[in-house]
This record gives sequence, structure tokens and C-alpha cells, in this order.
Amino acid sequence: MTRSTIKTNSTDHKIAKLAAIAVAISLVEFFLPSPIPGVKPGIANIIILYTIFKFDYQTGVWVSLIRVFITSIIIGTFLSPTFFLSLSGALCSLLIVLIFKNYNKKKFSLISISLLASLAHIVGQFIVVRVWIIPHDGILYLLPLFLISAFIFGIVNGIIVQKLITSKTK
Amino acid sequence: MKLAGIKNLMQKILLLIKKFKSGDWLVILLFISLIFFITKYYWEFPQGQYLKIEKNNEIIGTYSLNQKNTFTIDSHMGASEIVIDNNRARFLKSPCKKQYCIHQGWIKKINQTIICLPNQISISVIGNKEQFDSINY
Amino acid sequence: MSFNKIILSLFLCLLYGCSHDPIYQKKHYIFGTLVDIKIYGEKEETATNISNKIIKELNRLHQLLHPWNPGIISDINQAIANDKSIYINNNEIINIIHDASTLENNTKGIFNPAIGKLVNLWGFHSETLPTKLPSKEAINNLVTLKPSMNNILIKNNILKSKNNSVQIDLGGYGKGYALDQIKNILSVNDIPNALINIGGNILALGKRGSKTWVVAIQNPREPGVIAKISLKPGWSIGTSGDYQKYLINDGIRYSHLINPFTGLPSQGTQSAIVLTPPSVNSGTLSDVYSKPLFIAHKNKKLIVAKSLGLNYFLIIMEDNSIIISRDMMNEISWYQEPDAKNIITN
Repeated sequence: MTRSTIKTNSTDHKIAKLAAIAVAISLVEFFLPSPIPGVKPGIANIIILYTIFKFDYQTGVWVSLIRVFITSIIIGTFLSPTFFLSLSGALCSLLIVLIFKNYNKKKFSLISISLLASLAHIVGQFIVVRVWIIPHDGILYLLPLFLISAFIFGIVNGIIVQKLITSKTK
Repeated sequence: MKLAGIKNLMQKILLLIKKFKSGDWLVILLFISLIFFITKYYWEFPQGQYLKIEKNNEIIGTYSLNQKNTFTIDSHMGASEIVIDNNRARFLKSPCKKQYCIHQGWIKKINQTIICLPNQISISVIGNKEQFDSINY
Repeated sequence: MSFNKIILSLFLCLLYGCSHDPIYQKKHYIFGTLVDIKIYGEKEETATNISNKIIKELNRLHQLLHPWNPGIISDINQAIANDKSIYINNNEIINIIHDASTLENNTKGIFNPAIGKLVNLWGFHSETLPTKLPSKEAINNLVTLKPSMNNILIKNNILKSKNNSVQIDLGGYGKGYALDQIKNILSVNDIPNALINIGGNILALGKRGSKTWVVAIQNPREPGVIAKISLKPGWSIGTSGDYQKYLINDGIRYSHLINPFTGLPSQGTQSAIVLTPPSVNSGTLSDVYSKPLFIAHKNKKLIVAKSLGLNYFLIIMEDNSIIISRDMMNEISWYQEPDAKNIITN
């Protein structure tokens, strides 16, 4: 029998490394308190954005999905409502980035993309909460809080990613 | 020493902000206004009933009917007492001569109003939407 | 860049639209009562301006028409009581006196602004509560003297009265008249949409945007409203009731609306509401014509309404039964549906 090996190339290594960091961040985030358990600001988005703009979009998608799956497996929330929250947030975020990533690079920097991704992330999570987990309009009273947090993290993440990308290319 | 540190921080922040492009500011603006409108929409007075007390056409306050309390309002004629209890309200004491306001008794339903004309003090129960523009009496 | 500009300008329009509240409202305690002014669709500056003009006019009218404070009316009443003639250089007052006279005749004397002495006798000419009932004698004396606006003659600006028991009291006329004056002010100043409430008497001009103005009708016995009705452009609504100014003696309520023929406060009716269509003096009519509907005997109310050409009226009797016109019944919206057994219509 020939030994079948799965050859990994440097791209795979990159993805693995980045995903690992993203998972680590997600785990830390998991322990942060939140008014609605499971809805998180998405600090790991820094890694995702970095990946997308340093390398390419596809790589970013991989990292993002791996993060969601691995994190939930490690914590033990795989296929639980929390998992779907996380997944929904990640997917919405990815979708928005896909739409806007090449839009007018002259007028819009990474900050904008980060803000939009952050917004999509929160909205994606909120939709799952409202439709499935807590189907009650009362939950919407918390939306302003999360929007503010999304705004702050959107800017902070954007600045950090910007810094990472420009400094690394030097 | 601390001042220098703060100055440093401010400079760093300014540098960062300078990196924002024109389009970024637009996104920031839109995001902030989104937050503003959503907050405004969802954080309005929750459904419930309140007592609006007005003196000389100015709203002195809007108080929840869900409490037990007595309010003293001073006016040129003297002091009036308005009491809220058991989800209803009434004039308890008034310096006016005719005391019509006191004789009106308790009010508790939305739009019920008692006016003490000589004193220019009025109390009215308010809820959410007004269904009409004015009252004929 | 143009795309950004579009977004920015849209955003600014949104902000502007949100902050621009199309209804201006101001309440004032003037004219001896509570006045509520609502103006629709004008800039705040314009609305404030017109509101001030209205206040000014109301203050002027308050002075002019006051039934017992010092003023022209007082002077006239004094002259009449002393069998003297008096020179009047105020054409407005002359017109009002003629108008009041006409209305007294229209209502066959039920509305009679010349019975000031009777009103005073019952104690309704002061700021304090009447405490005791006047004697039957005193009442009868005044009634038999039959004061009437027709006793007053004005020629070449000189006013004289054949009957010295006449005392002019425009209490049942003033609010409506004020509404008509304000109607003119708003028209002259190009304000098409407003809702003016003077002590409960309301005039509607134009509409509230795309919606008609809506007014609610007070419950005569409890704080609260019993019904609402649309007040179409130009229409007015007025009410006479026994629930605002009254005297209670030995458990009996005596309203301030005196029947000129008996000298006694009218009893048996809680409130009478009329709506009048747009006309030069619709405001005045909405005020004045509610009186005969209130005072007239139950069996005569429908006849009185017909003779005055009223198509929209609602009368609530002491026993809570209702006399309501067909047109009013079709348009009114009840908060507390009245018992069908207790309704009389025309």
C-alpha cells in the first residue's frame, strides 16, 4: 500500500496559523460577559479582515469558517444556538466584505470595510436571536447597545488591521 | 509626566484619524445616525400611563401613575397638592376659591384632565397616542 | 464623488425632516379661560408670530366684552340703569349689539343677552361661588320687567334704552365672536390650517396635513371624553353645559344658563353641543345656538334646532338619554356607545 499523504502547502500553513489565532481570540471573547449570551462584538474579525486584505478573499473565508467551527467544538457549543449565532454573524460579515472589498479604494479605507463588517456581524447575530432564540420584540431594546459596541469595535478593528497590513509590507 | 503621556496618546490618535479617507467619514456618519435613530425608536417611553402636570402652560413633570406620592405645586395663589395613588391621581388641596378641581375627584384613564383655572395648574393622564386634536367642552 | 454627495444630501434631508415638527401648539390662560392654539404646517417663526397676534386680539376682546369689569359694556349698562343715553364711538360694539339683538330674535328670546341683572342675581357675575339662592320675589321682579336687546335703540351713535332693567351680558356670545375674529386674522395672514380652542369652543381651519381635524366631546359628569367627531375645514363646535359653572344648593345643581322666561337656571340637560358650517359668523353661532338647545324644554328641543337650521347637534339629558341629529349620529364616533333605547333623533 502506498502511503497517501495530504500534501500541505504554505497557504495551508498560513490558514492554519491564522485560524488558530482567530480561535484563540474567540475563546477569550467567549468568556466576556454580554447582555445577550452568545452575541459578541467579534474581535476575531481583525484576523479575518487581515487575512482577506493581506492575502485573498477565499483564504479569509476559510479562516473565518474554521474559526467558527473549531471554536464551537472546543467550547462544546457545536450545533447549539450559540453556534448558529456565531455562524450567522460570520457569514453576514463575509458577505458584506465581499460586496464592498473593492469599492472605491481611493475614497474608502479599511476602516469603512471594518465598520460595515462589524455592523453586518451584529445584525446577522441579531436576526438569529430575534427569529429563533428569543422571538420577542423586547430583545430589540438591546439593539442600540450592540450597535454602539459594533461601532467602537469596527473602528478599533479597522485601525488595527490597517496598522498590521501597512507595517507588515514594509 | 502624565501630561506628556496624554499628549502622546492624543497625537497618536490624531495621526490615526488623519489616515481616515473621505468615504470613511461618510460611513462613520451613517453608522452614528443609524445608532441615533434606532435608539430613538426603541427607547421611547414604554407603554404605560403617566400623569402630566402643567403650570402656566409649562410641563412641570410627567410622573408615573404607578406610584404613591404627593406633589406640592406652588403658584401665585398658594400651594396645591396633587396626589398619585393606586394608578390614579387627583387634586388634594388647592388655594382656589371654588375648589372645582378638587370636586372632580380621581382621574385614571388616558386623556382625563382636571384644570384649576384660577391657579393655571392642570393634571392630565397621558398614554401613547392621542386620538384627537382638541376637546370640546 | 457624486454618489457620496447624493448619500450625504439624502441624509441631511432625513435629519431635517425629522426635526421639523409641522404642528405648532401654544396654550394660554387668557380671555378668562384656557385657549389652545394649534397651527399646522408653518415655520415656527410664522406660527409664533400669528399666535402672538391672536393673544393680542383676545386680550383686546376680553377688555371690550367683559360683562362686569370696567369698560364700554359697563358704561352702557350703567347709563341704561340710570335711564340715561350714552354716546358710543366704537362701531364694533354697535355691530355686536345689533348682532346680539338679531340672534335674540332668531332664538325667539331664549338666547337673551339683556338679562345681565338676572345672571348677577344668581351670583354668576363674580369670581366667587354663589352661596345662596335668590328670593322668588327678586327673580319674579326681574322677569316681569322683560329686558330684551330689542329695547335698545342706537341712532347716530347715541344709545338709549326704553327699559332700564336691561343689562348687557355677552357671556354666551364672546367666545364664538372671538373665534370669528381670529378666523379673520388667520385668513388675512395667510394661515390656512389651524385649530383654535377657546374655553372649549373650537374652530377648525383647513386640515391637519392630509387628515381632518378631530375633536373630542367632554363627558359632562366625569373627566374624560365620550365621543369624537371630525371637524371639517371651516366648521365650528360649541357646547353649553351645566358642568363648568354652577351652584349646588341642597344637593341640587343650578347651572349658570338662566331661562329668561322663568328667571330660573335651566334644568334637565347636562350638555348641548352644536356644529356650525363655515360662514362669516359660524364661530358666534356655534356659541350662541348651543344655549337655546340647552335651555329649551325637552319636547321642544328638536323644534328649536330645526328653526335655527341646525343639522349637527347632540344633547345629553339629565337622565343620560340623548337627543341627536341624524347627520351627527352618522359621523360621531363613540367611546362609550349610548344605550339605543335612549336615543331620540330628528
